[in-house]
Amino acid sequence: MAEPEKIAIDVNSIENTEQIIGQLMDNYSDEVLHLVYSYVKDRTTAEDLTQEIFIKCYEKLGQFNNKSSIKTWLYRIAINHCKDYLRSWHYRKIKFSDKIWDYIPSKSKHVEEEIISKNVADSLTSAIMDLPIKYSEVVFLYYYEELSLSNISKITGVNSNTLKTRLKQARKLLKEKMKKEV
Amino acid sequence: MGDPFSNLKNSLSKDFEDLSFSEERKNAVRETIRRKQNHLELQYWKVETLKNILDSLQEEAKHGYDISTQLFRKNESSFKSNEGQIYILLHLLENKKIITSKWIEGKKYYSLTTKGKKYAASREHPDSKQLNSLKNFIEEASL
Repeated sequence: MAEPEKIAIDVNSIENTEQIIGQLMDNYSDEVLHLVYSYVKDRTTAEDLTQEIFIKCYEKLGQFNNKSSIKTWLYRIAINHCKDYLRSWHYRKIKFSDKIWDYIPSKSKHVEEEIISKNVADSLTSAIMDLPIKYSEVVFLYYYEELSLSNISKITGVNSNTLKTRLKQARKLLKEKMKKEV
Repeated sequence: MGDPFSNLKNSLSKDFEDLSFSEERKNAVRETIRRKQNHLELQYWKVETLKNILDSLQEEAKHGYDISTQLFRKNESSFKSNEGQIYILLHLLENKKIITSKWIEGKKYYSLTTKGKKYAASREHPDSKQLNSLKNFIEEASL
C-alpha cells in the first residue's frame, strides 16, 4: 500500500493549495466522513461537515507546520469541527425538534436514515455509536482508523493514559451491551 | 482468542461500505476554494471596476467609504450587495503596490502610487484598447 502520510506539503506555494486539498480529499475523504459520521450519526450532516472541514483545511493550510503528519493535522481539524457542531445552538435546536418527532408516530422517516440504520442494525457499529462520545471516539480511532494511542492523544489532546482507561471502559460497556442483545 | 474487538474494523467497514464522500461533494469543495482564491487575484475583478477605483483616486486620497459612494454614483454594481468586498480589492491593490494607504484621524486613506498613476494618467481615451492595456498592466503587476 502506498504511504499517503507522505504527501509533500509545501505551504509556501499558494498555487499548490488547491492541489493539496484535492490530494487530501482523494486520500482521506472517506475516512474523515466515517469519522464525522461517528460523531453526528447522520449522513447528510456528516457530508456537509466533511465539506466544511476540507474548506477549513484550505484556510488553515498556512498554519500547518510539518511537526505532525498531515493526517494527524486533518483529523484534529475534523474532530474539533464535529465537537463545535455538537455544541452549537443550531444542533441542539435541531436535536430537540427531532426528539419531538420521535414521540409522534410516523412512518415517513427519511429514506436515507432508514438505509443507514438498517445497515447499522444488529451490528457492533450501532453499539459503538450509542456510546458516549468520549468512548466511541477512542474506539473508533483505535479500532477502525487503527491509530496508536499516542497518535490519538495528539489528535484529541487527551492524555494517553486517560485514553487507555477509556478504551478499557468502552470495551466493558460494549460487552455488556452485546450480552444484553443476545 | 485475543482482543474480542479485533474484527471490529471489519464490522465497521461493512457498515460504512456505501458511505463515501462523493465526487459532487469534492467538487463543491474545490469550487468554494477556487472562489475564495479568485478574490485574491486581480484577474477576478472586472477591468471596469479596477478602472473606476483608480479614477476615483486620481484627484486626491480617499477613504473606503468615499470611494464606494463615488463608485455607486458611477453605477458600479460589483459591490452592490456586498459592500465589504471593496476592502478586499483595495487591500489587494495595496499589496500589488498600485495604491498605498495612510491612517488619518482613524480613517484609512488610499492614494495612487507612481505605478498606479502611470496607468490612471492614460485614462483620457477609455476605449476598449485602454481597458485591455489596463488588464495587461494589472497582470504585469500581479507577477
